Amino acid sequence: MQQTLEDFFKVVRSAGVNISVADSIETSKTVELVGYRDRGILRDALALSLAKTTEEKEKLYECFEQFFAFDAFQNTSLLKPQPSTTDKTEQQAEQPPAGEQQAAEQEQAPAEYKGDLELAKMLLRNDKAELAQTMKKAARKANITDIWLFTQKGINTQKIMNEMGLRELNKEITSLGKGDCPAERALSGQLRTGQKYLFQEVRNFVEQQLSMFGKTASQTIHEEFLKSSRLSNIEKRDFEVMVKIVQKMAKRLSSMHSKKRKRKDRGQLDFRKTLRSNVAFDGVMFNIFWKSKVIEKPRILALCDISPSVSSYSRFLLLFLYSLSDVLDRIDTCVFTNSLIEVNDIFDQYPVQQAVEKITNDFGMGGSDYGNTLLDLKNDYMDKIDNKTTVIILGDARNNNLAPQTEVMKLLYQRAKRVIWLTPEMESFWGTGDSEMLKYKPYCNIVKECNTITHLEQMVDTILKVSAQTA
Amino acid sequence: MKDLYENTFQSVEDIQQQFEEHNYICNSQIATCTYIAYNLQKPIMVEGPAGVGKTELAKTTAEILGVPLVRLQCYEGLDESKALYEWKYGKQLLYTQLLKDKLSEVLDGATGLRESMAKLESHDDLFFSEGFLEPRPLYRALQEEHGCVLLIDEIDKSDQQFEAFLLEILAEFQVSIPELGTLGAKIKPLVFLTSNNTREMSDALKRRCLHLHIDFPDEKLERRILNSRVPNLSENLRHEVVSFVQQIRELDIKKVPSISETIDWAKTLLLLHTEHLDSDVVKETLNVILKFEEDIEAVSGQISSFIKKAHKE
Repeated sequence: MQQTLEDFFKVVRSAGVNISVADSIETSKTVELVGYRDRGILRDALALSLAKTTEEKEKLYECFEQFFAFDAFQNTSLLKPQPSTTDKTEQQAEQPPAGEQQAAEQEQAPAEYKGDLELAKMLLRNDKAELAQTMKKAARKANITDIWLFTQKGINTQKIMNEMGLRELNKEITSLGKGDCPAERALSGQLRTGQKYLFQEVRNFVEQQLSMFGKTASQTIHEEFLKSSRLSNIEKRDFEVMVKIVQKMAKRLSSMHSKKRKRKDRGQLDFRKTLRSNVAFDGVMFNIFWKSKVIEKPRILALCDISPSVSSYSRFLLLFLYSLSDVLDRIDTCVFTNSLIEVNDIFDQYPVQQAVEKITNDFGMGGSDYGNTLLDLKNDYMDKIDNKTTVIILGDARNNNLAPQTEVMKLLYQRAKRVIWLTPEMESFWGTGDSEMLKYKPYCNIVKECNTITHLEQMVDTILKVSAQTA
Repeated sequence: MKDLYENTFQSVEDIQQQFEEHNYICNSQIATCTYIAYNLQKPIMVEGPAGVGKTELAKTTAEILGVPLVRLQCYEGLDESKALYEWKYGKQLLYTQLLKDKLSEVLDGATGLRESMAKLESHDDLFFSEGFLEPRPLYRALQEEHGCVLLIDEIDKSDQQFEAFLLEILAEFQVSIPELGTLGAKIKPLVFLTSNNTREMSDALKRRCLHLHIDFPDEKLERRILNSRVPNLSENLRHEVVSFVQQIRELDIKKVPSISETIDWAKTLLLLHTEHLDSDVVKETLNVILKFEEDIEAVSGQISSFIKKAHKE
């Protein structure tokens, strides 16, 4: 039974629930306590000790139903005489009740099987339970739980069939079919039919296993692909997965950076403070003070170009930033195409994902005008920017040949703590055509190509790290 | 008095039945969880909206097992000195003042600093002994002679540091007090932690607990709960009340009424000698189940249709 339980853990893991070794030990104890007698209680017990959140609980229930479904060999009657084996469902529909079927068998009158091949006996007895069990044992020997990709279906089916004794069965069928006795030939035909059904059942079973065990593998491959593909190429159907990836990354980053708020009791001695506090003790240094650094959470002003060419990049940057609210003091967001629009209130009203969606839909028209946007910034927002603000600008700096207004960038550079420009374009394209990137570049602390989610992660990490060091 | 683990729960059904006898109607999941926790001595982390009976679960368990319930209410800024122990500084100070005169006897004509020190050290560290220790809930729970049910209420309100501090207690059932050494539990308490999910708990804490989520009950279960809590309520009215509350729960409002509010409402209606729900009574008593002005306004418009449906069922 332990093996079954471990297989179940594997299934649950591939559904995305983290189970540590300690968890599996504890759960084994729990199962030992409640036993396998009552399906409902077993299910609850597993959910209670493995799942840590409500979502995980739901996943676990799903896995449980799938894993402990004993439906192999339930749908087909093995030894129904049949003209063609291609359409399984049709056969099922035509299946006669057991009594009639026996009658049909008697009409054919095949010879009694005298060999000692277990598999053949089982097939002839139509012993579904025994067959299912043999199949599961064979599957375990064939390491079915390691199945990964759909291309492995064939080989795994073959392995299981061989493990169950396919070769011997084939020999038996051939040798019976060779003889002159019609009853023996009938028996051979019957076995052949049985073998075909067996094949179908095993294949079904393998497919089921693939859907349980192969989930993580294909998911991980897909996620890795998404992480490294250009954000503008990501399809709408993958947005949900992307949101999850972003949240995962953000959680990691925030747990990495959230604890470094204050550095105390180490580093340099704060001599002045120490002396002052120890005046009362005649200058004997009882209380010692160290220079402590209070690390401030970065305050961020994000300026995002949401014109059609760059909007998909802005979407993910915003998603990222707002998932990091634990480690950021304040985020002000403005979006622009040809003029600056403040969108903080939309983020206050709606959940992040919806807000981003709404912003790109509502304001994302028209060609970019960086010059005008910068002028807006100068007129309306300059007083909000001080030496604690990190300004992040996301855009390709393609200004449609309008005035770039670099002097505002200069002002911004002088006022803000840091100016970071993220562009989806590769460096070799900067300054070509209507790109003003090279003109803006001198007034930025960092200019970086940023077109995949991994780039974004690295960027945000740098922002958080640098702000911790320079505070 | 029996020890905590002496009167064992025989089975899941047994627990469900005993809970019912103590007027706590629960589904099999809650019973299974209690059964596992009791037998494997694991803490339970109970989550769910306010008022679904999380705290009540711990209370009832303590009642059935016949052991005291030790409760620790968590809040922001809760620390060891409030949760575990504190030295009775006042008493220590008072005693030193009172015993000042005895000092010469203790020192007994010792000459020189070294000798006096040695004499003092030969006496026990009396001021840091259990007599000067102010036990707080966690310490009390570990010291309880016959074991107890420890309820750590609203753990999500406490700080992360406190959560980390709890880990030692929940895993080993022991605490370290620098002056006294490591103290183990006499009998491991049965621990319930409740959380309203205002913040995510750390994985380390979750790992050590069984995770139980209690949600609002379905109509049938809620009627049974109401029957056991407010037995004097007529069957008709019970149906109506539960159906009405269930309909409110479908709405998108600020604070959905929970079981405790249903019970309060039933008691109110009983007090007002109501036999059937009608618009006037509901309007007058709606503030028992709804706690926000906006919610009351939102529901007010639909009272008559809700009552109609409740009467039909």
